[in-house]
Amino acid sequence: MKRRTAIAALSTAALLAWMPATRAAADTIEPLRATLEPSADGEAWVLSADFAVSLNAALEDAVNRGVPLYFLVEFELLRSRWYWWDERTALATQTHRLSYHALTRQYRVLLNGVAQNHATLAEALEAMSRLRAWRVMPRDRVRSGTSYDAWLRMRLDTQQLPKPFQITAITDRDWNPQSEWKRFAFTP
Amino acid sequence: MEAVRLHTVDPGKRAVTRALRYGLFVSVALAAVLLALLAVASGNDRLLEQHYGTLLWLNVAVGVALLVFAIELARRLWQRWRSGLFGTRLMARLAFAFTLMTLVPTLLIYLVAVQFLARSVESWYDVPMERALESGIALGRASIDAQLGDLQSKARAVAAELADAPPNQWPAILNRLRERAGAQEALIVTGSGRIVIASGGGLAQLVPDLPGAQALRRARASGGFAEAEPADAANEARGLKLRVILPIPHTGGPLGDDQRLLQLVQPVAPSLAENAEAVQQGWRDYQALALSRIGLKRLFRITMTVTLLLTVFSAISASFLLAGWLTGPLSMLAAGTRAVAEGDFRPVKDYTGRDELGVLTQSFNAMTRQLDEARALVERNQQELERANARLASVLANLTAGVIVLDESFVVSLANVGAETILEADAEDLVGRPLSELPRLGEAADTLHEAFTELDEDHAAWQRQIPFRRDALPPSDAGRDAGASQTLLVRGARLPSPQSGWIIVFDDVSDVVTAQRAVAWSEVARRLAHEIKNPLTPIQLAAERMHLKLADKLPPSEAEMLVRGTQTIVNQVGALKLMVDEFRDYARLPAARLAPLDLNALVQEVLQLYGPQEAAGQLRAELAPALPAILGDAPQLRQVIHNLVKNALEATERQATRSIEVATESVRRGQAVAGVRLVVRDDGPGFTPGLVSRVFEPYVTTKPKGTGLGLAIVRKIVEEHGARIEAGNRTDDAGAIRGAAVNLLFTKLAKSEDNCGAHTTLDTDGSPAAEPVRPAKT
Repeated sequence: MKRRTAIAALSTAALLAWMPATRAAADTIEPLRATLEPSADGEAWVLSADFAVSLNAALEDAVNRGVPLYFLVEFELLRSRWYWWDERTALATQTHRLSYHALTRQYRVLLNGVAQNHATLAEALEAMSRLRAWRVMPRDRVRSGTSYDAWLRMRLDTQQLPKPFQITAITDRDWNPQSEWKRFAFTP
Repeated sequence: MEAVRLHTVDPGKRAVTRALRYGLFVSVALAAVLLALLAVASGNDRLLEQHYGTLLWLNVAVGVALLVFAIELARRLWQRWRSGLFGTRLMARLAFAFTLMTLVPTLLIYLVAVQFLARSVESWYDVPMERALESGIALGRASIDAQLGDLQSKARAVAAELADAPPNQWPAILNRLRERAGAQEALIVTGSGRIVIASGGGLAQLVPDLPGAQALRRARASGGFAEAEPADAANEARGLKLRVILPIPHTGGPLGDDQRLLQLVQPVAPSLAENAEAVQQGWRDYQALALSRIGLKRLFRITMTVTLLLTVFSAISASFLLAGWLTGPLSMLAAGTRAVAEGDFRPVKDYTGRDELGVLTQSFNAMTRQLDEARALVERNQQELERANARLASVLANLTAGVIVLDESFVVSLANVGAETILEADAEDLVGRPLSELPRLGEAADTLHEAFTELDEDHAAWQRQIPFRRDALPPSDAGRDAGASQTLLVRGARLPSPQSGWIIVFDDVSDVVTAQRAVAWSEVARRLAHEIKNPLTPIQLAAERMHLKLADKLPPSEAEMLVRGTQTIVNQVGALKLMVDEFRDYARLPAARLAPLDLNALVQEVLQLYGPQEAAGQLRAELAPALPAILGDAPQLRQVIHNLVKNALEATERQATRSIEVATESVRRGQAVAGVRLVVRDDGPGFTPGLVSRVFEPYVTTKPKGTGLGLAIVRKIVEEHGARIEAGNRTDDAGAIRGAAVNLLFTKLAKSEDNCGAHTTLDTDGSPAAEPVRPAKT
């Protein structure tokens, strides 16, 4: 009897140790606000959004050591259908590349081929967290008067991390920050 | 012959079913492929690097599947062990050994590899290397800072000169100033970033390098901006450029509050930029490695662990498969052995392998075939033996002679139907009893015993005639003395070994003896009659003639004597003639012609002759109703009844009162009618004791005038009819003689359906004795 209990305890312990550690981490990315409006030229819908982005110690350390981080902003527009699953009307993604240039001691944010240099990490994050005039879909994609659900989130793209960090990202929530999906109603 | 498929091992319950086996094969193959991919992905393949996580999870999934398989196999093995299936122990031992054989080395390699990897990953990082890289970075920074300071002072000089000159001359002097300062590009912008004057720039560069809004803001706010930045915004590796922005000191004038800013841009010397960039790249890689070493170690560990688990589970499953494959033929043989033990000689399904197990299976099948043939032979012999025994038994049963087989110690081991009849006991009673305790033998047993002991090698058999009393016959009215003797011809011999013992054969020759005696008597009677009768007529004639001739010539006294003498002669000759006729009748009694007849009717017909006696109540008939017809010769039986009634009347002639009964009844053995009995009783003086046993022999009589042939003739007729006759005395309770009785039992019945009608109840053993002895009437 004793032996059987010991074996059960051991196997449970092994299972627990092997399973990915699911440590609850405070959200470091949070969507604050988002609006969808027609662009100035009237050809597209543009998205403006604000996030609160802060990096935890591990990620900040990684950035300061020159590891580039890729942040992915995902936008989805769904039209609900009572008879079937929701129809995905539009899908758009945007990647911010955050890196540290040691020689010049600058933080660079690269978005759509345009680089911005920042003296501090906070500035770089601030620049990254403000999304302005992102053309997410053409004007005629949506019908006016119909109500849509818009979904928005920002997350660290762990697929683009160097391989050793991918393993860490699988097992460590610190390495896998992502915001909740922010949902907002949109009626053109 | 149909081959035995493992009847004890249900195909559905085999340790490794087909589905499980294929699942295992697929899983192991998948595991191998995935492991290879994982190993490649753990290297530096860019393509697989992205899918590393997916691969890892796939590997884990396959590992779990293999684990499930291994657990299922172990469970099945445990079940088989519990149910005590043959071959399970060997299978478990083999599986355990195989598992251990793969598990231990794999575990060792795993542990060593993990340790080794952890150490080597750690050893990549050392402090001097890191410091060197940091120093390189610092060096790069310092040189860039120096160049930046240089450019800054130049810019300050240019700005001072520009401030001195009126703005409308700026385009003229800016080029000069730029060349003097050695900058690649010079630019004067407004505070909001609009270009006022531009100078320099490569031919390729049509658009001047505008400062960013942030840089302008900082320049305006802090009175200057100096920074190094990548030459190409999109590609950091394209060298560096230095940018300095200074406000041009305000000298007052028409410009008002509109500030002018000077920007100088100069690329860092390519050799310096390249080297610095290389140092930075090295530093960055090193830092990334240093940062990721935990992750790296974890990566290796997880990869190794997954590999280990896949290998171990595959090995366990494979060992089960292997063990099952090895023990399968053994279980088959075991099942075959059990089948043979239960008498099933079908061959087991041939194990198709060409190894020793296959040879074993074939030998086993050959053995079972031989066993089967041997058994068939034995069965055939047994059947023949039984047939012979049955034949012998039926021969013995149909033998009228009694056969008794005794063992060495003279205990009966076999008795046939004939012996049962003679000894009047069931075979079950006879078998197992010693010779001396057999019923009815009495002193004869000792005689037999003696005869056996006298046998020696020269005399293998003996033969004797033994008389014995028929005391088991019903005493009936005849009383205790009515036993008739029986003559047995007994032969004895020693049985040949190996079943040594003794055999006795009885033959009831009393009938033969009696018949011989009867034949002898009739021969004597015939000759006597012939010899005596011939001289009688001359004697009678001579006597009568003498009387006729001499009667008148003699004196009266002599004449009277002559008359008396001749009269006596004539009378005696007449009596002699009568006697001789009786003798002749006895000798010439014709063979009985048997025909169905009603005994009651015959009795009544005879009694009509005795009308006066019947009327006087001295003679009466007690006839059973519905008497079955018997087979008999009516005139002869009439004579029998007549003789018996006459005898009874004569025996009671001198009594004042007499009572004579003629009774008939049917005799039953069980439900079937076995015979008909006729009894003639009187209340006379009875037979004298010495006479009873010889009363049916000729010349035995109690009457003064009898020839003694009456009862002899009766017996002869009765024997012709296959019936039995007994004579005896009737006794009362005190044992005093109350009269005589003659008992006839006819067992030959006419084959008629009417013959089941008699209802007289009888004793169950069916012996003719039925009538209780009653006190006679007085």
